[in-house]
Amino acid sequence: MERIIIDGLSFSLPLFIMAIGGIYSEKSGITNLALEGLQGFGAFTGALAAVLIAGHFSGSSQVTYYLAILFAILGGTLYSLLHALLCIRFKANQVISGVVINILAMALTAFLTKYLNRTIFSAASDKFVLGVSARITIPVLSGIPVLGAVFKDIYPFELIIIVVAVIAWYVMYKTEYGMNLRACGDNPHAVDAAGVNVGKVRLIAVMVSGGLSGLAGISFAYSISANFSSSIYVGYGYLAIAALIFGNWTILPTLGSCLLFGFAKSGGYYLVQLLKMPSSYSDLVMTLPYVVTLLLLIFFSKYNRSPRALGEIYDKGKR
Amino acid sequence: MKKNKNVFKRGMVRLLGNERYQAISIPLFAIVLSLLAGALVILFLGKNPLAAYQNLLQGSGLLPKPAYAGYKSMLTDFTSFMNAWTPMLFASLAVAVALRAGLFNIGVSGQMLTAGFVTSILVGYSSLSAPAAKPLVLLCGILAGALVGGLIGWLKHRFNINEVVSSIMINYIAQYVISFFINTYYVNPVSRQSNVVSREARLSLMDTVVGDLKMDIPLGIVLAVLAAIAVKFLLDRTAFGYELKCVGTSRNAARYAGIRVGKNMVLAMVLSGALAGLSGVTYYLGYFGSIQPKVLPSTGFDAIAVSLLANSNPIGIIFSSFLVTVISKGSTYMSSASGLESEISSVITGMILLFSACGVFIRYKVKNWEDDLTAERRDG
Repeated sequence: MERIIIDGLSFSLPLFIMAIGGIYSEKSGITNLALEGLQGFGAFTGALAAVLIAGHFSGSSQVTYYLAILFAILGGTLYSLLHALLCIRFKANQVISGVVINILAMALTAFLTKYLNRTIFSAASDKFVLGVSARITIPVLSGIPVLGAVFKDIYPFELIIIVVAVIAWYVMYKTEYGMNLRACGDNPHAVDAAGVNVGKVRLIAVMVSGGLSGLAGISFAYSISANFSSSIYVGYGYLAIAALIFGNWTILPTLGSCLLFGFAKSGGYYLVQLLKMPSSYSDLVMTLPYVVTLLLLIFFSKYNRSPRALGEIYDKGKR
Repeated sequence: MKKNKNVFKRGMVRLLGNERYQAISIPLFAIVLSLLAGALVILFLGKNPLAAYQNLLQGSGLLPKPAYAGYKSMLTDFTSFMNAWTPMLFASLAVAVALRAGLFNIGVSGQMLTAGFVTSILVGYSSLSAPAAKPLVLLCGILAGALVGGLIGWLKHRFNINEVVSSIMINYIAQYVISFFINTYYVNPVSRQSNVVSREARLSLMDTVVGDLKMDIPLGIVLAVLAAIAVKFLLDRTAFGYELKCVGTSRNAARYAGIRVGKNMVLAMVLSGALAGLSGVTYYLGYFGSIQPKVLPSTGFDAIAVSLLANSNPIGIIFSSFLVTVISKGSTYMSSASGLESEISSVITGMILLFSACGVFIRYKVKNWEDDLTAERRDG
């Protein structure tokens, strides 16, 4: 039971922060299917930074880990500029742009990982090996029966994600920028009429989604899978999109759907071990989050209301 | 400076301004740009880009290699290239049909895998003779693909589920469930892949001796080219094609005109899935003879690039799928001949995709420049 909660949380939280990024972008009116590519590219830059500087610090130092997170956020933000450029400046179809960004991210990171491994580390490898960060257990609180597991064996990224998520929630619902952003997704003409630059609001929103996806990507790579390779692209970005769709593009319900995915996944693994099934059954368990997604979409899609101007190119002259 | 800018504008307008040819000239421009960008990358890696591009053509059997192993020649390279081209052509047509109805079928890979797997266990492992097995393979592939595609269309129509999300979910579910069945029942312990299908069911005649050569003859390529022509006819010359186009352009306008939007979306996905199914059987029971568990074919994703590049015109797709297959198929030889990572080819494909996504912007910009120039001329 403890393991289900611990593993479930460490999977749900990165998904959640990526979904928040998606909410920012989509609430501002930019469809963002690029989350998958953004988290992959962010994880790549973070992992590269980590392997480059790992030698300069002693083995037990956590500096590498935090620098990797920083660089992943930077890398994700930088790469998201491409999506912003295509969608805002070049007026490309946003769905197509998202898919392009994903395909390019996969190709680029696979190529660069292999190339850099050969040239810098003279090793023929298609992955960057990363460590697992130290885990934190909060004394007292972790002693509570059952729920104490929430405070046990926490990865540092989980704390960072919670802090960032609270800030993101505050900015989205309590600040002027957040209000403009939400208005951009529903009625960009009104925002423009109020003297706010729609393109700029959207640009920032897309960059936020890039940075948050980068944070999610490095959390998956550093700690959960302990390396960066093309196996980072297993569809978590799309899962985050599905999560924000049942979360109805609002932050708190989205947390609920992310937790559901996380516990479906960790619970399934636990079940395979408990029933002593052969390891090939874990393939069936892996489908759980996706099956849950589809079923939930079937029940909830009807009540969903996407931002009204989502996916539309903003054209000043159009009425 | 101003003068230089004008020369550039005039050149671009002359090159791309003719609206009649823009459907061809803009994709060509995107290809040239991305090949140039690719060349820069290769140059930066310290390799000769011309030699690298030549290797791509050599690897696809379009230029002679310096030396060949026994039973091999440029012709065998080319037939093996066509073997890889067939599934790509079908998959791109699948993307194009869905795009015409405004749907983005990113699930082509999952549909290919499902069709390939279902057909393998139903026909591929049976002991049917070739004349019975081969048509059955095609039929099974079409049905399996159409069912999966139709499901995505129906979910969109009935429950308003975004087709991109549902097809991605189905991709992963198919990938893991099929991997489970292969690993439990059909695995070949040596290759760690599924058992090889029977020669009778194979859609490519592998290692056939012709004269002093041994070549792989893909039977599907004829069908694929015919399918492209049929899809072109269906989309441009029939009432069904017109309805699809209306639904794709504006759902509300189509509904207002009395077109049944839901039915058309489901039908478009059924047709798209059927083509993806054909792609799946020519891939798993033609090009390869077995299925690698837990891997989705990248063909389904590259097909999006191919289809966009051709503006989802079926005839254009014949050419764009040819080009993209040259890049991916030739990359193996390029990596062995010039020591470049073969992944560079998918980077080039990605860049082609990136530049062709900017097609609308290029068109808009050229129009702007043209207006500028006419204005300047008028003002003297």
